[in-house]
Amino acid sequence: MYIELHARSAFSFLEGASLPEELADVCAEHGMPALALLDRDGVYGAPRLHLAAKKSSLQAHLGAEVTSAAGWRYPMLVESRAGYRNLCGLITRMKLRARKNEGHVLPEELAAGAAGLICLTGGEEGPLAQALARGGIEAGTECVRKLCELFGRGNVYVELQRHFCRAEEARNQAALEIARKLSLPVLATNGVRHARPRQREVLDAFTCIRHHRTLATAGRLLTRNAERHLKLPAEMERLFSDLPEAVANTEMLSSRLQFTLSDLGYQFPKYPVPEGASQMHFLRARTREGLSSRYGSYNEADYERARKQIERELAVIDKLDLAGYFLIVWDIVCFCREHNILVQGRGSAANSAVCYALGITAVDPVGMELLFERFLSEERGEWPDIDLDLPSGDQRERAIQYVYERYGKLGAAMTANVITYRGRSAAREIGKVLSFEPETLDRLARLVGAWEYKDADDTLDRQFRDAGLDLRHPLIRKFFELCREVQDLPRHLGQHSGGMVICQGQLDSVVPLEPASMPGRVVVQWDKEDCADMGIVKVDLLGLGMMAVLEDSLQIIRERYGQEVDLGRLPPNDPVVYEALRKADTVGMFQIESRAQMSCLPRLRPKCFYDIVVQVAIIRPGPIVGKMVNPYLRRRQGRESVHYSHPSLEPVLARTLGVPLFQEQLLRMAMIVAGFSGGEAEELRRAMGFKRSEARMKEIEKKLRRGMGKNGIAPAAQEEIIQSIRSFALYGFPESHAASFALLAYASAYLKCHYLAAFTAAMLNNQPMGFYQPATLVKDAQRRGLKVKPIDVTCSDWPCTLENLSPQDGDGPDFAVRLGLRYAKGLRAEVAAEIVGERALRPFVSIEDLKFRVPAIQKSELTALAEIGALNFIAGKRGAAGRTRHRRDVLWQVERAARRPGPLLEAAGTSCESDEECASATPTAPTPAAASPLLPMTAEERLVADFRGTGMTVGPHPLAYHRAEMKRQGIRSASELPGLPDGTWVRVAGAVIARQRPGTAKGFVFLSLEDETGIANAIITPRLFAKDHGVVVRPSFLLVEGRLQNQDNVVSVKAERVRPLSVTRAETASHDFH
Amino acid sequence: MAFASIYVPDFLVQAVVRAEPALRGRAVALVDGTPPLWSVVAANEAALQAGIELGLAKAQAEQFRGVEIRPRSQGQEKIAHAALLDLGWSVSPRVEDTAPDSVALDLAGLNSLFGSEEEIARRLAQRASGFGLIAHVAVAANLEVAIHAARGFPGITLIPPGEESERLGSLPVGVLSPAAEVLETLERWGVRTCGALAALPALELSERLGQEGIRLHELARGARSRSLALAEADPIFEEEMALEYGVAELEPLAFLLGRLLDQLCARLAARSLAAIAVRSRFDLETRFPKKIRRGKKEPRGESASSVYEKVLALPVPMRNSKMLLQLLRLQLQASPPAAPILKIVLAAEPARPRTAQGGLFLPCSPDPEKLELTIARLANLVGDANIGSPELPDTHRPGEFRTSRFFPPRGTADRRKEEPAVANGELRVPPAGRQGNGFRIFRPTPPASVALHEGHPMRVSFCGLRGDVTAASGPWRTSGDWWREDAWQHDEWDLEIHFDSSSRRREKTLRSLLPREPQHGLYRFYYDSVAGKWFVRGAYD
Repeated sequence: MYIELHARSAFSFLEGASLPEELADVCAEHGMPALALLDRDGVYGAPRLHLAAKKSSLQAHLGAEVTSAAGWRYPMLVESRAGYRNLCGLITRMKLRARKNEGHVLPEELAAGAAGLICLTGGEEGPLAQALARGGIEAGTECVRKLCELFGRGNVYVELQRHFCRAEEARNQAALEIARKLSLPVLATNGVRHARPRQREVLDAFTCIRHHRTLATAGRLLTRNAERHLKLPAEMERLFSDLPEAVANTEMLSSRLQFTLSDLGYQFPKYPVPEGASQMHFLRARTREGLSSRYGSYNEADYERARKQIERELAVIDKLDLAGYFLIVWDIVCFCREHNILVQGRGSAANSAVCYALGITAVDPVGMELLFERFLSEERGEWPDIDLDLPSGDQRERAIQYVYERYGKLGAAMTANVITYRGRSAAREIGKVLSFEPETLDRLARLVGAWEYKDADDTLDRQFRDAGLDLRHPLIRKFFELCREVQDLPRHLGQHSGGMVICQGQLDSVVPLEPASMPGRVVVQWDKEDCADMGIVKVDLLGLGMMAVLEDSLQIIRERYGQEVDLGRLPPNDPVVYEALRKADTVGMFQIESRAQMSCLPRLRPKCFYDIVVQVAIIRPGPIVGKMVNPYLRRRQGRESVHYSHPSLEPVLARTLGVPLFQEQLLRMAMIVAGFSGGEAEELRRAMGFKRSEARMKEIEKKLRRGMGKNGIAPAAQEEIIQSIRSFALYGFPESHAASFALLAYASAYLKCHYLAAFTAAMLNNQPMGFYQPATLVKDAQRRGLKVKPIDVTCSDWPCTLENLSPQDGDGPDFAVRLGLRYAKGLRAEVAAEIVGERALRPFVSIEDLKFRVPAIQKSELTALAEIGALNFIAGKRGAAGRTRHRRDVLWQVERAARRPGPLLEAAGTSCESDEECASATPTAPTPAAASPLLPMTAEERLVADFRGTGMTVGPHPLAYHRAEMKRQGIRSASELPGLPDGTWVRVAGAVIARQRPGTAKGFVFLSLEDETGIANAIITPRLFAKDHGVVVRPSFLLVEGRLQNQDNVVSVKAERVRPLSVTRAETASHDFH
Repeated sequence: MAFASIYVPDFLVQAVVRAEPALRGRAVALVDGTPPLWSVVAANEAALQAGIELGLAKAQAEQFRGVEIRPRSQGQEKIAHAALLDLGWSVSPRVEDTAPDSVALDLAGLNSLFGSEEEIARRLAQRASGFGLIAHVAVAANLEVAIHAARGFPGITLIPPGEESERLGSLPVGVLSPAAEVLETLERWGVRTCGALAALPALELSERLGQEGIRLHELARGARSRSLALAEADPIFEEEMALEYGVAELEPLAFLLGRLLDQLCARLAARSLAAIAVRSRFDLETRFPKKIRRGKKEPRGESASSVYEKVLALPVPMRNSKMLLQLLRLQLQASPPAAPILKIVLAAEPARPRTAQGGLFLPCSPDPEKLELTIARLANLVGDANIGSPELPDTHRPGEFRTSRFFPPRGTADRRKEEPAVANGELRVPPAGRQGNGFRIFRPTPPASVALHEGHPMRVSFCGLRGDVTAASGPWRTSGDWWREDAWQHDEWDLEIHFDSSSRRREKTLRSLLPREPQHGLYRFYYDSVAGKWFVRGAYD
């Protein structure tokens, strides 16, 4: 029986064209009992082959093609665990000393680390072929002799490949001669690069991408034929009928390769505890401390409940020997606390009272009756998963660097993120390979995936026709086919945003490490899922924009209000917060600010924290596709009775009125109705979790039906339950995760309601994030009475700051927000820092003074500042002529100041005699700027300049200037709409701030139109969208006519006519295509 | 002194409309780009009003009903521009080629010929209309004022001396064609008209915009004057002849070509130049297509059948009209146009004539002119694509080669660069693996029939020869160009054949390569999987 022992997968990044799973499938189809995967300089695809092989009872052998200094590659197979350790070590060493995607192994490293590895002489890129080309049979013999010295005589196989190529056969004859001479075994392989013959085309396309060529210019870089696919054993036996021992040796060698990834030898590090104490003992002590601080204020019964729960959890942790893991996460959290880094655990960890007691999470699972088993169970036999949310940016980086420092460079690493080809990247690169023009590529790339929802007319034909391409053209047809083929194939290795793996010993003996693009970062060769599959524990240190906002807000409150706000002790059930939520006044609030959330809030009418948990979880594709939103809301409003698909489900679904909304409920449902074990339920959860789950979901679906049938569940109820579960496959929140997010939502709402100025400044300083553009955030805050002041170089810092309101500013909040220089488009941060630094020394007396003291400032930057009025107040409010200076006055001055005088005049400008004097001198008193002959900007011109220069205006909303005229035209303002009865024919107009065509909305488009009074929602039907596509998508301002829908305080206009509105040339931005 | 300026608004569109008068008065948008991607590059006012925007994709533009979409034609633009210059030259000998869409002319001394300046302007506008162009005409005492007024005001504009500043005042500053950066600054200042610009203090403006500011300020006031930059004739020497009836025979055509070439060469000689290339363009009769002679390659498509173009690239500059005529004749004989000729345009690319001095010790090389003539004769016999130096392209496709233009070796200097066969007293041997039998490729490859046994060739026949396969090596498989329509897959076999004793060569084409009464030989056969047939690639020596 022939066994393929030299195959590359697409994880050789552009040097292989099939995923490991497909290779395994084809092996299984061919009845091959084993397969060896040798990817280039790595074991990237090994976990996926391992898992796929497990399913089809295939033996997955591992190895790699490791690059030598001369460029050829040693094909090495792993025989034993020591061999695997050596291979990982070799690859890690070569990778870490080179730049990304480079590096080679040194002969001395090989000599030291060849134990447990078997070397093949390789195909055309192997050592033997290179030696033969260099110096004929003598050099070839010498090369193989050296390999024997390095790997040992018994560990070298002379490889023969037959792809119907004359030169290759000549090499084979030489190899045979060498094998005979040195008495070495020969081994037939097919040097596989793709699973099926047709994938040769993808391989050729990848070759072009790798070499930056097109198919037309790649020439002999392309494959000679399509023979490098997985061939049937019989076919290989026929090919090597003259050398039956070469085929027989494959089986023999395969039997030698005993190592599989089941034998990885991974150990999680032990937490250093004081002498004499065990890790468990130490954990118990820390948890007990947490118990009294977290639950100390509870009544006795609740305290006792919490204590019991914690004891139960500790028992499980002890049994599973996981104390070290909890302590390590606790240690990271402690580091963050000590360094004032906001941190909060999310995900299933929130189900654990131990995590709550240790301060890892902020949700009380006992109070919320969360299911601990969702986080950790004895029977699952896998590591728990704790995700920590940190403020995005520098703070998160500090936490990551702390882990590196604590566990050493080879003890901790980031998980990889395998970047795969998606619609847009595939279209762009395949287009290039087929020699398409750059403009065509742009157009094609724009076409792909513009909207989440695709209607029946969004066929490829139509998209191509729109781009002016004819699908009947063979080249374009080929483009389409190739794009489809490369979908999901790996392109390169990136770095996961926050997943870290930690190991007890050397991590590089478990998986090869390599440098990330970001300096100071090391990544493992496997992605998050692969690490989980291989049982490697990971801690996710995720950056969350809202955490940064909260942290910044607290800092501002501390500094400006002189108050200390503890997010852990916010007043619960704050009436102002709930009132704002019920009114859907939630712009800027975490997770509950989107249009869909806003349209749900007035119907759900949150009254307590758990309602926010539901609110966060309900507007997700899972519940929406599963048609769970409306039943839940109707039941909540008392318009529909609460009933259950099956009476046995009542205990699980009672809290959510019979409607499943959380993952945990789905799992429990499966356990109850289909008799799933905890392990099977966990398998269901994981199938729901990732993308490569469709086949798994189908398998599970069958199992569910079988189980339900056994339990006598009626077919209709079965269907309902299956539908609920299937829809959750597209994202459903676990309850604990929703609760963690709900905490952040509540905190953001609380800060917004009580410290609007601080919250707004923090939001503006952490953009881009959230659902709305800064312009909308500012307008929303202004409508709530906040004064927002424009950028002014005499007082703005880089970030937005708070300023005390002067008495003449009237009543209202105590502070105004001063926009920061960061919002001046085109101004570099380092120049802004110089401006602020110089200003601190003494105020600028003129534009010339500014230019002189901040020499790095460029004319374009001065102009940009002048255009937005940021230089108006230099040297006071009034110019030399005694009248208020306007932007054009300054622009007039800037143009003069920015023009360098000739050397003669420059020297005359400073009356210094030595270089030192010149260096320290300021220009002689600036000539008072005469009033400019320019006319002041009109309101419209100021608007245009504001939006162009800052992306927003702190002045009136663009529509405010036209309200009178709009009133005459019968156009209603956004604030009028809630007062109008349902069904009223209305006209509304506004700046489009969001356009959405969600995948769950069957082609409907949702527009958010902002005017000076608020935000109005418009719904565009698919028919209207098809008819007026250009009008809906392009203009910044729209006029919408239609019937008002005003039900349950949810207000929107069902558009029947839509047309562009010409009110200003200001370019407002919209958040589109979500 | 007075100047007139003629300006053609929407020049790109007008150039196309001029060639297709049916479009006059309609909304027209022009698209340009590389197929299949086209986008709108120009549109007239009517099209813009209909909603067309520059940059729209052709497919999107086509959705606007009532808007005619045409491809941009640089050829028509060139002709329209030439017509515009001609329009100027039809009135004044002193013409300035201001821009593709505008010309300016000196009217000094023309009153006695054409009447008042107003009459001249009217005459120019009328003639422009006769040329198929709608033009703005402006007359002023100042050249710049005339140019800017023509750009800004429709119809005929006369600006009396002293009124320049006032009249230009209402025009947008864009007519002054300031640099993009300056225009941006002016826009930022809110200075949008010439009047607003003129109102700015000159000194302060110069402090801010430098000399460019002063220039624009003067232009806006109509105070800047300059002299006319006289247009020069096109550097391409062109002669053309339109024929009343289509010419279908070579002899009368050669007679006409000879006349044109004589004129071209005389003009070249007058300026001490010679031709390095002669471009010939023939407008063909399309209504009754008739072939002169059967060509090897027939031009395809409508445009190819109405216009026929050839370039005669010369190895050295020449101005011998007889020689050029002979080369042109051979070129036309080798690939004649598909229909009678209605118009001939010959354009000579000028170059400095060749200066050559033979060296006493330099080897004789063929006279370039004669060599060119010989190559042209050969091309006439074998076709353009089949003459030149063979080159191997970078491809796996077996037997593939291309021909590039033949150039004789350039004397001794190049020869010295060749590697000597004997270096350091040792004879170099070719690297291992390169030795072997010579291989002769049969072109075209003769078909063969091959009998197989268990997938191996056993008996073959081709070109009348038949024999048994005594040894076979293969298959050697190559395939490629899968993204093209002519994708291929060949399975090659090296076969040792023992021919039947009665076997006789029948084909004449491979006379030199195949023995008349063969006994045995080593051949390369291949099976073309796409065609499903066997062929003989060649024979080993």
